[in-house]
Amino acid sequence: MSTQKDKEKLALLQGTLDLLILRTLIFGPQHGQGIARAIHETSDEEPLVEHGALYPPLQQLEERRWISASGEPLQITGGLVSIRYRPGGHKQLGKETTKWKRLAKAIGRILESEPARG
Amino acid sequence: MFGRKRKLDDFGAEIDAHLQLEFERLRERGLSEGEARAAARRAFGNVMQAKECFYESSRWLWWDHFWQDVCYGARSLRKSPGFTVVAVLTLALGIGANTAIFSMVDTLMFRPLPIRNPGEVVFLSLPRDATHFESEFSGPEFRQIRDQTSDIFSDVGAMIMGGVSGAIGRSNGLTVEGATRPIQTLFVTGDFFQLLGIRPYLGRLILPSEGKTPDADPVVVLSYRYWKARFQGDPGVIGKPAFINGHPVTIVGVAPNGFLGPTPIFEMEAYLPLGMKTVETGESAAFLTDVDTRDLLIVGRLAPGISIERANAVLAALGQQLAKQYPRVGVGTVLQAKPLRPPGIVDGPNPLPALAGLFLTLAGVVFGLACLNVANLALVRAIARVREMAVRAALGGKRARLVRHLLSETMLLTLLGSVAGMMASTLALRTISSVGAASDLPLVFEFPFNARVFVFALSIAVIAIAIVGIIPALRASSGNLSKILHEGGRSSTARSQRTHTALVAVQVGASLTLLIVAGLFVRSLRHAQQADLGFDPTNVLNMSFDPGEIGYGKAQGAEFYNRVLTQVRSLPGVQSASLAMIVPLGDSVQRDQISVPGYVAQRGEQPHAEYNAVSTEYFETMKIAVLRGRDFVDSDSESSLRVAIINEAMAERFWPGLDPIGRTFKRDGDSTHVIEIIGEVRNSRTEDPYSPYGPVFYVPIMQFYSSAQTLQIRTAGAPQAITPLVLAVVRGIAPTAPILSVRTMTSAVRNGVNGLLLFNLGAELTAALGLLGLTLAVVGIYGVMAYAVGQRTQEIGVRIALGAQSKSILWMISRQGLVIVGIGLGLGLLAAVAVGQLVGDFLVGIGPTDPFTYLSVSVLLLLVALGAGYVPASRAMRIDPMVALRFE
Repeated sequence: MSTQKDKEKLALLQGTLDLLILRTLIFGPQHGQGIARAIHETSDEEPLVEHGALYPPLQQLEERRWISASGEPLQITGGLVSIRYRPGGHKQLGKETTKWKRLAKAIGRILESEPARG
Repeated sequence: MFGRKRKLDDFGAEIDAHLQLEFERLRERGLSEGEARAAARRAFGNVMQAKECFYESSRWLWWDHFWQDVCYGARSLRKSPGFTVVAVLTLALGIGANTAIFSMVDTLMFRPLPIRNPGEVVFLSLPRDATHFESEFSGPEFRQIRDQTSDIFSDVGAMIMGGVSGAIGRSNGLTVEGATRPIQTLFVTGDFFQLLGIRPYLGRLILPSEGKTPDADPVVVLSYRYWKARFQGDPGVIGKPAFINGHPVTIVGVAPNGFLGPTPIFEMEAYLPLGMKTVETGESAAFLTDVDTRDLLIVGRLAPGISIERANAVLAALGQQLAKQYPRVGVGTVLQAKPLRPPGIVDGPNPLPALAGLFLTLAGVVFGLACLNVANLALVRAIARVREMAVRAALGGKRARLVRHLLSETMLLTLLGSVAGMMASTLALRTISSVGAASDLPLVFEFPFNARVFVFALSIAVIAIAIVGIIPALRASSGNLSKILHEGGRSSTARSQRTHTALVAVQVGASLTLLIVAGLFVRSLRHAQQADLGFDPTNVLNMSFDPGEIGYGKAQGAEFYNRVLTQVRSLPGVQSASLAMIVPLGDSVQRDQISVPGYVAQRGEQPHAEYNAVSTEYFETMKIAVLRGRDFVDSDSESSLRVAIINEAMAERFWPGLDPIGRTFKRDGDSTHVIEIIGEVRNSRTEDPYSPYGPVFYVPIMQFYSSAQTLQIRTAGAPQAITPLVLAVVRGIAPTAPILSVRTMTSAVRNGVNGLLLFNLGAELTAALGLLGLTLAVVGIYGVMAYAVGQRTQEIGVRIALGAQSKSILWMISRQGLVIVGIGLGLGLLAAVAVGQLVGDFLVGIGPTDPFTYLSVSVLLLLVALGAGYVPASRAMRIDPMVALRFE
């Protein structure tokens, strides 16, 4: 039964991760570690996500053709598989961003509101 | 790169690279090597989990699991061989019976002819009444129709069936290298094959230039089957000189494999140009020229874009015109095109749709029973496995995985069942195809295995079983696991037990229905067998010839028959011998309109009677009692006065209350001769064994020559024993004359197309289906009872330990079975009354609600059901309380 709870949590996280990954990629192609690092740094070092957890959403995004991954897993010294952004991902990013901004705004308003009197 | 096809190793390398980069970055920030490595790992999280995630979304996983499931399914099926064998056999029988019957129906009713665009080909007819039509036209009519329909038909052709399928008293023979064998001929216009759009297998077909002139173009095209059977597929026969009925012809080609002619049940074995019909008629070309000789069947191909309705509108107007030019009696004027499709050009009410409906219904019931049964078995098994499923779910088995696992087990079962079913249906079709009809017609009972039907039946079975098969997986994954685990799969089954009981009750009901239908058919067969035929078929040998096949004309033929008859009568063991044009309950009867002086016909009535031409001693050989007057004698010859002997029904009909001897009538087919009645005989069966007796008259075969005749010999002992002697006599007189058929009168009645063949087939088919149903019901009852006992072992043990009598235990268990059977019988009786409506028309001597059948079959089923229930019940009685209590 506990597995099901985990799943739900993960599902929520996955949607968020998609957005973060797409957002990170607009500045140019990146590899997995680079994306992880970028998220880590741009969120003021908030430990939002374990690096390993990035890979399943990357897999999915590639399958939906929102990003493309090319190249070989290079020898440790060289770069990694380079991940780039595709036009499909752009549209998705726009949609997701609007959604999240609205949600964040709404939640922010609720949290900051005065207790209602009546 | 992250796509599913990627190998796990590559992904591992990616992770390693990721960790390495992170490590390097951290080192740059000044962490020690150990710290950096640990921090990189910490940031990455669980490496194993990441790998697993990747693995599980890979495509190979599906196959891995599939293969695991199949192996597991095979193992668990092997572990319960009883279940597997019963389920596979049940499926096989259900699928097999259905595929066989659907294949038959498809062949007889739906399969289009193997010609180009069969939907466009039609035949023409004029209506006689609601169900009968006239489809024969004269030469002048044909030519007029052909010339005036060029805007609706792209081709119009005509054909005449020759030999046994044509006029009565005739058969054709093909002589090659001195050996003559019977052959079914079809005489066609030159454009016939072009119209059908088929190509020869060998040589050529009839050419458009051929067939217009009588006696010209002596060529013959053989059918593929005939060529294979008689010449072993030797291409050397092409171009060989041959003879048809003694007329020289050349074999020019072989028709394509699979093409049996325009009628799918009768096979046409030889195609000749229309003008060659003279091989049957001699000099006469009346079939081409005479306005009153109507022998031609007309076929046409609809022009592109012309619908059959459109064509019929044009034809109706043409029919009016034809009626004025060439008037006919008793036929409507609305000329009509009908699609040429199975069963072909068959006049009269077509019993096939009703019969097909009946058998499809019965087969459907058997199929339903089979599915129910396997479903039931699977359900029993499934309930027993709820606990197993619960354990697997508790250990983290995913719901989809459990369902898939059970499904693959089901698929495996179905696969086995379908292979066995394919074999069963092939076997059944072979058995049905081998039915030996006692007929001289070139009947083809060939029912090829129908793959479409098979796939259809299979998919229904898969769905039915799959639904039941996955129930436990769904239950285990949706329900409360701890509850199921605590109950140990015991009391959690009240609801499924009810479903189960209902399923078995339905099974019992359905099998009762099947058995009642079978019972009705068997009883009907009994009635038909015991019916008084009016003649005695025992100890009579029938041997049919047609010396016309070797070119004998009337004088030569009559001489041949005379000598055969005289010599056979003097053979030892022969009590009497006679000749007849028609054998009763054979392929067909002959009718003619008659005019009786003094008889006032009712309005719309056309006085007619059946007739047969027979020799002296006929009534003695058939043991038909001569009631008054005299029998035929040798002096009733061609030169003497035309005479006839009539049956009781004819006397009653035309001369009620009067003595018919000495009275006269005329046959419309021969209006020059007055026929005088010289005797009256008892009514006897002629056309079929059940219709009311109609008027029949017999004429001396000396006054009515028929080229094909049947020699009938009444013997003292077994009639087959005399066959070699008779054959020797015939060979002595005409060494090359072929024998059409030799069979006893008893088998002629039993297997005659108009005799008991259909009764036998009906009874055998329904009995087979009924037995199948009974077997399935027994398995079902046994299953549910055994399961119930198994479930209640502990409870029964407690009862016995507390002193319950074994009798009361037996009753407790049996009661449950009785309730199921009782409900089932009630349902079945209701269903049987409904199905009986379908059967009614095919029964003789009993009604569709024959109480004897209903009662006896119900009792039979009840006894069998009790027997099936007794085994598990008696096992319950003998349960050892100690064992039962330690059960878990």
